[in-house]
Amino acid sequence: MATQRNLLSRSLQAAKSRCRYHQSLRGISSAAAPELPPFGYEPKPYHGPLADQVLEKRKKDKEVHLHSVGASFLDIPSQDPPPAALNIVEGKMQYLFDESGKRYLDAFAGIVTVSCGHCHPDVLGAIVEQSKLLQHTTTIYLHHAIADFAEELASKMPGNLKVVYFVNSGTEANELAMLMARLYSGNLSMLALRNAYHGGSASTIGLTALNTWKYPIPQGEIHHVVNPNPYRGVFGSDANQYAEDVKDHIDHGTSGQVAGFIAETIQGVGGAVELAPGYLKLVYDIVRKAGGVCIADEVQTGFGRTGSHYWGFETQGVTPDIVTMAKGIGNGLPLGAVVTTPAIANVMAQKIQFNTFGGNPVCSAGGLAVLKVLDKEQRQKHCADVGSHLIQRLRDLQQRHDLIGDVRGRGLMVGIELVTDRKEKTPAKAETA
Amino acid sequence: MQRFATRRGICGTGVQRWRRCLSQLAQNTEENEVYVPKIPSFDYSPPAYKGPTAEEILRKRKEFLSPSMFTFYKKPLNVVHGKMQYLFDENGRRYLDAFGGIATVCCGHCHPDVVKAIVDQTNQLQHSTILYLHHAITDFADALASKLPGDLKVVFFTNSGTEANELAMMMARLYTGCHDIISLRNAYHGNAAGTMGATAQSNWKFNVVQSGVHHAVNPDPYRGIFGSDGEQYAKDIEDLIQFGTSGHVAGFISEAIQGVGGIVELAPGYLPAAYSSVKKAGGLCISDEVQAGFGRTGSHFWGFESHGVVPDIVTMAKGIGNGIPLGAVVTTPKIAEVLTRRSYFNTFGGNPVCTAAGLAVLKVIEREKLQENAHVVGSYLKDRLCALKDKHEIIGDVRGSGMMLGVELVTDRHLKTPAKTEILHVMDQMKDMGVLIGKGGFFGNVFRITPPLCFTKDDADFLVDVMDYSMSK
Repeated sequence: MATQRNLLSRSLQAAKSRCRYHQSLRGISSAAAPELPPFGYEPKPYHGPLADQVLEKRKKDKEVHLHSVGASFLDIPSQDPPPAALNIVEGKMQYLFDESGKRYLDAFAGIVTVSCGHCHPDVLGAIVEQSKLLQHTTTIYLHHAIADFAEELASKMPGNLKVVYFVNSGTEANELAMLMARLYSGNLSMLALRNAYHGGSASTIGLTALNTWKYPIPQGEIHHVVNPNPYRGVFGSDANQYAEDVKDHIDHGTSGQVAGFIAETIQGVGGAVELAPGYLKLVYDIVRKAGGVCIADEVQTGFGRTGSHYWGFETQGVTPDIVTMAKGIGNGLPLGAVVTTPAIANVMAQKIQFNTFGGNPVCSAGGLAVLKVLDKEQRQKHCADVGSHLIQRLRDLQQRHDLIGDVRGRGLMVGIELVTDRKEKTPAKAETA
Repeated sequence: MQRFATRRGICGTGVQRWRRCLSQLAQNTEENEVYVPKIPSFDYSPPAYKGPTAEEILRKRKEFLSPSMFTFYKKPLNVVHGKMQYLFDENGRRYLDAFGGIATVCCGHCHPDVVKAIVDQTNQLQHSTILYLHHAITDFADALASKLPGDLKVVFFTNSGTEANELAMMMARLYTGCHDIISLRNAYHGNAAGTMGATAQSNWKFNVVQSGVHHAVNPDPYRGIFGSDGEQYAKDIEDLIQFGTSGHVAGFISEAIQGVGGIVELAPGYLPAAYSSVKKAGGLCISDEVQAGFGRTGSHFWGFESHGVVPDIVTMAKGIGNGIPLGAVVTTPKIAEVLTRRSYFNTFGGNPVCTAAGLAVLKVIEREKLQENAHVVGSYLKDRLCALKDKHEIIGDVRGSGMMLGVELVTDRHLKTPAKTEILHVMDQMKDMGVLIGKGGFFGNVFRITPPLCFTKDDADFLVDVMDYSMSK
């Protein structure tokens, strides 16, 4: 059973590098190692604590969890000394700099979060300007930033998706979505995909379906359906078979009526797994017939990352009832959002739902700047162009290296699965590390 | 008339009263001369505002934001700029901020040191996650841990109080292997599934499954059934454990002073007794310092310290970052270890910008002696409010500590009937006069005063005078 650790633990999500076709002519046969593309920027000199000092503080009884998380993420049992950790001190667009000023190509973007680029001038400008004016008052007073941002975000949504709730993280967004689903439907059962990741709080841990992330605590009525994973899934790319499993769960595991279904269109933490084509259309239909709402978790796939569409769910030709987002929404600002229909929002109005930091002027201003950058710099198209070039090059690489079992994804959300045996698909855990 | 401040004045118990010369207000009606309190001077002019007006914003809010989102005041206020303890509306009018964005802005709006830390770090690196090293998170964790007693030194960063409390509850359940958690009626701990269970006011609780939480009788000195007898209330904890659980519990969570619940101080002697019962049942004690922490109560840095207890887990948010989205959980290494059984990861938690801001906040609190200011000015303010209570029948109770104060309005002092409509009227009047105050309590009849901790005596005088004036009308 594939767990998150068995897959390439980092989906290769390249930052926006310029197209250099002639580089494909160089390859492993060349003696010279590839060089970073030039970048006309010098990092600021760094005078802060060095890696050793920082690591010392992290380990010294404090933040013991950070060490363990880092280790588990890298799929290396806690070692002493731990694997060399990188002290990242500055970022600029698609590059990061360490304490010695060395530049790195950031192909992970702070886990699919830095969408515009590290310290993008427009986003930075918006944050700095607003921080000097007003950081926080809460929504008990009016402020234009939250309203402007909500309007712009809603305009990116299809159908009747136009009521926006601002929160501070993907976890909070998915918590709220689950609450909405249960309230609106009056039902309890939630359906989620195996191999999904939806958050780290007690309830979202229930939706999350990867044992690494699931603590042994009660998680309420949640049913994990077979993952429509084209590479490892039992039905290959046959969406109909996978959708049958959803119906099966509903018919036998629930009262027949459900609260809702949630899915990432491309599973992020789970290893850039694209759902089998046609899957969501079938499942949305089944879920709605059972009284449930459909939630699209766009925390990683949203904001043009997939290249072909603005939202991941659009690649499957569906319109959800609730959309959750975070990560790329603010280029790294602690921000999340839930967008839903007025009908569902009205049910929420029966009690007070309040988020102290949610929708604060600075994060809203930052979020609005992000939307504008994505539009102005045509990032979605860029993701499509560079992404397809990248995927093609990776497919070429796959021809040359047996280690590469699968190349998948779209736009700039790409995954490369390493296996020691292509037929058995034995995960190449050590090789990946 | 002589004016002197009393320390921690307790209303109506024979403490020497004083009358400020402005008590001439009481004689105004006879003298036909209306004295209107003036906001203390402040040498600062806000930049001109050219953005959308209140009407435009309201229209967009109605269309694109949650229908359960509410605003204060008959005519909602468009607040566009803040500086220290003052806020400015779209017309450049200055207001005294007596609510602090709900006990959140502790150093002061746009405090230069905090803004500088934010701007500097934002220009450098906003986000990379803890998969890489960065000094900001460790520096802040170090400084924060140093503020806590005992073995409380492992820090987890989150993005809100809700996330912090969710994590605390999960840790307690994992550590003990038990599910039952006890919280207090009238508490507020958050809005996610687990924390909604711990929250204990029907206004905030949706009709969804919230398992494993038992709500103990609130040790509320003003409205509670046992008055101020802390130990008597604590017996309910014992009772709940014996009859409502297996006899073993995961933990107990409480605020040292209930914030959303209307600035309710827990009856003296309650927490030590409650903690004792909970520990006997194998449970962990969680102190929710989201509102009371960071020197706000004046007498201590943390609310729990004034009760003479040491919790096993402390949660914080709001004031921790002066308004930046940030929360934290601090616990012992032994308890923290439970999370190593699986992976807990918070993408934004501990990001360089928020942690840089958090560290700046701690430094400001220390350098500008904000805790002491909260104590001195807070006590002064409380004394003046107590004096006001003598004057206005509508004030049922004045309570709280430092700059976390509550004024409960009632239409009948004996029956304690909540003055739900009257408070709205007074609040609106106060806004018109330049004071933005908070509101809370289960009945919505308690003024919550939780200003930025740089609040001065002049500000306190203005607040009370405006309240007096508004109540007199």
